[in-house]
Amino acid sequence: MSSEKLRVALIGCGQIADAHLGEIRKLAHAEPVAVCDRERDLAVQAAARFEVPQIFDDVEQMLATARPDVVHITTPPHTHKALAIAALRGGAHVYVEKPFTVDVAEADEVIAVAESAGRLACVGHDQLFDPCWVECRQLFEKGNLGDIVHVDSVQGYDLTGIFGRLVSSDPEHWVRRLPGGVFQNTISHALYKITEFLPDTRPHIQALWFPTPDSGGLKSELRVMLRGEQVTASLISSFAARPVQRLARIYGTKDTVEVDLEARLVRKYYKLSAPGPFAKIEGPYRQSKEAKRNFWKAVRKFWKSDLQYFAGMNGLFDRFYRAILTGGPPPITHGEIRRVTDIMDRIFATCQQQELEFARSNS
Amino acid sequence: MDIFVTGGTGFLGKHVVAKLLADGHTVRCLVRPTSEVEALRSTVSEEQRPRLHFVPGQLQKLTPDLLAGCDAVCHIAAAMKGATAALFVDNVIGVRKLLKVTAEAGTKRVVLISSLAVYDTSGLKNNDVLDETCPLEPQPQLRDPYTYSKLAGEQVAWEAYRAGQCPLVVIRPGVIYGPGRDPLSSRVGLNFGKLLIKMGGSQRLPYVRVEACAAGIALAVTTPGIEGQAFNLLDGELVRARTFLRYYRRGHRGLWVIPVPGWAIGPLAKFNVWYSKRSHGQIPPVLTPYKCNAMWKPLQYSVEKAKSVLGWVPQPNTLDGVQGL
Ligand SMILES: NC(=O)c1ccc[n+]([C@@H]2O[C@H](COP(=O)([O-])OP(=O)(O)OC[C@H]3O[C@@H](n4cnc5c(N)ncnc54)[C@H](OP(=O)(O)O)[C@@H]3O)[C@@H](O)[C@H]2O)c1
Repeated sequence: MSSEKLRVALIGCGQIADAHLGEIRKLAHAEPVAVCDRERDLAVQAAARFEVPQIFDDVEQMLATARPDVVHITTPPHTHKALAIAALRGGAHVYVEKPFTVDVAEADEVIAVAESAGRLACVGHDQLFDPCWVECRQLFEKGNLGDIVHVDSVQGYDLTGIFGRLVSSDPEHWVRRLPGGVFQNTISHALYKITEFLPDTRPHIQALWFPTPDSGGLKSELRVMLRGEQVTASLISSFAARPVQRLARIYGTKDTVEVDLEARLVRKYYKLSAPGPFAKIEGPYRQSKEAKRNFWKAVRKFWKSDLQYFAGMNGLFDRFYRAILTGGPPPITHGEIRRVTDIMDRIFATCQQQELEFARSNS
Repeated sequence: MDIFVTGGTGFLGKHVVAKLLADGHTVRCLVRPTSEVEALRSTVSEEQRPRLHFVPGQLQKLTPDLLAGCDAVCHIAAAMKGATAALFVDNVIGVRKLLKVTAEAGTKRVVLISSLAVYDTSGLKNNDVLDETCPLEPQPQLRDPYTYSKLAGEQVAWEAYRAGQCPLVVIRPGVIYGPGRDPLSSRVGLNFGKLLIKMGGSQRLPYVRVEACAAGIALAVTTPGIEGQAFNLLDGELVRARTFLRYYRRGHRGLWVIPVPGWAIGPLAKFNVWYSKRSHGQIPPVLTPYKCNAMWKPLQYSVEKAKSVLGWVPQPNTLDGVQGL
C-alpha cells in the first residue's frame, strides 16, 4: 500500500456528515480535503469543526479544484445518482450513504458509470462492520450456527426525535416524496442484515405498511416476509414500538444468536439440559453468567477506548479505502448494492399493491 | 405598528406577542404546522384578538408578500437543540432567508433575538464587567453547537447591516426564566435528570425574567434611531449560583448535587479534553477549558445601555423573580 493518503471530499454537510468527517479523520491512510454543500453555511460549519481546508457550494467546481480520490455523498437519496455520477466522471471513487439510490434503475446507472470509469462505488451499509455483527459473522463462518434457517431483523425509529419531527411536521419533506416514504430512508440497515444470510436474487416477498392512529397519516409501520431458496426472513420496522431497537436474530440449524446493535451484544440461546423445573433455573443461571461475561467485556473495551459509536462506519471506510489503495476486493460488491436496492424496490411495490387491494376490498 | 413576529408560539415569543398587542400594535405571527397556536391564542384577550394574525409557513420558505406593509420584523424563532447542521439550518440559513425577504419587502426595522452567549469572555478577568462593548466570540466553532449557530446567525445579520441591506437591532438576552420554564440552567451546572453537577458557585447568573425581556424587545421594535446597536437584557441584581441553588433545592428535594468547586473546573476540563483525545472520541470533549471559561467565569454584567437608550426597566432582582417558579 502506498504511503500517500487518499484525498477525501464530502458532499452534503448535514448531521451524518459529522460522523463521516470524524471517522475519516481517525484513519491513517485518508484525509478530508474538501466539503461541499449547496448551502454554503453548512459547508462552512463542517469545515470549521473538522478542520477541512477547502469549502465549496458547487460540486463541479469542487471536483475540478480539490481533485479528490474519494467522494462521500451524504445528501438526501434523490440526489445520490446525479452526484455519484458526477464524482465518478470526475475520476473519484464514491461512498454513498444508504439508501444507495431511489431505485434499482438509478443504481444500475451509477454502477455502469463506475465500472466503465474503473472506479469503485460503495454504500453505507456500515452496521455490517460493527464489532458485534463481525462477531456474529465469524460464528457463522466457523460453522457454529450451522446452516441459516431464518433471520428476524427489527429496526425501530423515533419520530419524536429532531429529524422525525421535521418529517412529520412538513408534508413536503423530501423523505415523504421517496417511493418508499420514510422507510426508504431507514430500512436499509434492517434489510442488509437479512441479505447477508439470504443469498437469493429474487426472494419471494410479502409486505404491508400502514399508519398508526397517532402518526398523523404517515405510514409508520412496515412488516415484510422474505422467502429464499433455503432461508426465510422477517423485517419489522416500527415507529411505535419502544424501546427503539436495532436487533437481528439469526436462527441456524445448530444454534441461534441475537445481535443487539444498541447494546453492541451478541446473545446466545442455550439448549437446557437440567430436568423438569430445574431447566427453568438453569436458563436464567446461564443467562446471568453470560450477562456477567458481557458486562466485563464491555468494561474492558471501554478501558481500551474500544466503544466507539461509529465503529462500523470506521471499519467500512477502512476496508473501502484499502480496496482502493491495493486494488483488493471491495467490502461491498456492486452486485450486492444492486441486489439490496432491487429487493427494497420490490418490498415497496408489494406494499403499494397490498394497499390498493386493501382499499378495494374496503370499498 | 404592524409587526411580523417569528417564534411567537415559543416561550419568549408568547410574551413578546402579548406585550406588542397590549401596546396596541398589530401582530402577524409566523406559525408552522406543528406550532401550538391555541396556546398562544388563549393568552390573548377578546379585545386584542382581531389584531393577531397567523401566517402559516417556515423561515426557510418565506416570501416578501408575507411581509408586505409591515413596519418591523421581530425575529425570535430559533432551534434550541440538535446537531450543529440542524441548528445552522434554522439559526443561520433561517436568518439569511429572512433577511433576504425583509430586504426585498423594504422592512424598516429588524429586531434579531441573539443571546448573551455570543461574547468573547476570554479577554475578561474574573469579576470584570461584560457589556455591549465586549467583542464577539472569534472562534465560535469551539463553543457548543447552539451558541455557534446563534453567533453565526448574528454575524449574517451584521453583514447584511453593513451592506446597507438590513436596519438591524440586536437583542442579547441572558438565560430567560419565567412561568413554564425550569429556572435551573447550565449556568448553574450540568443537569442529568435528578443529578446536578454544580459548577463553581460564586458566579452570578446572567438571568432575565421573561416578561421584562419581552418588554425590552418591544422597546427595541419601536424606539427610533437605534439601528446598528445591540442591547443586553438581564435582571437588575443577579443572584449567585450557590444562593440560587440553595433556594431552588427547597422546592426540588430530590435533586442530587455533586459540587465541582470553581478552582477544579479548569483541571476537569483539561482532563476531559485529554481523555477525549486519548480515547479517539469515545467520550466527546463536552467540557473544554474554552467552553467552561465562557460558561462559568464569575463576571459582572451591565444593562445600563438598555436602560438609558431604550428606557427599559429590568426585573429588579433574580431571587425575587424566581419565587414561585
Ligand atoms: N431561552 C433562553 O434562555 C434564551 C436565552 C437567550 C436567547 N434566547 C433566544 O430567544 C429566542 C426564543 O427562545 P425560547 O426559549 O422562547 O425558545 P422556544 O420556546 O423553543 O421557541 C422557539 C420558537 O421558534 C420557532 N421556530 C424554530 N424553528 C423555526 C423555523 N424553522 N421556522 C419557524 N419557526 C421556528 C418555534 O416554533 P414552534 O412553536 O413551531 O416550535 C418556537 O416558536 C431564541 O431565538 C433563542 O435563541 C433564548
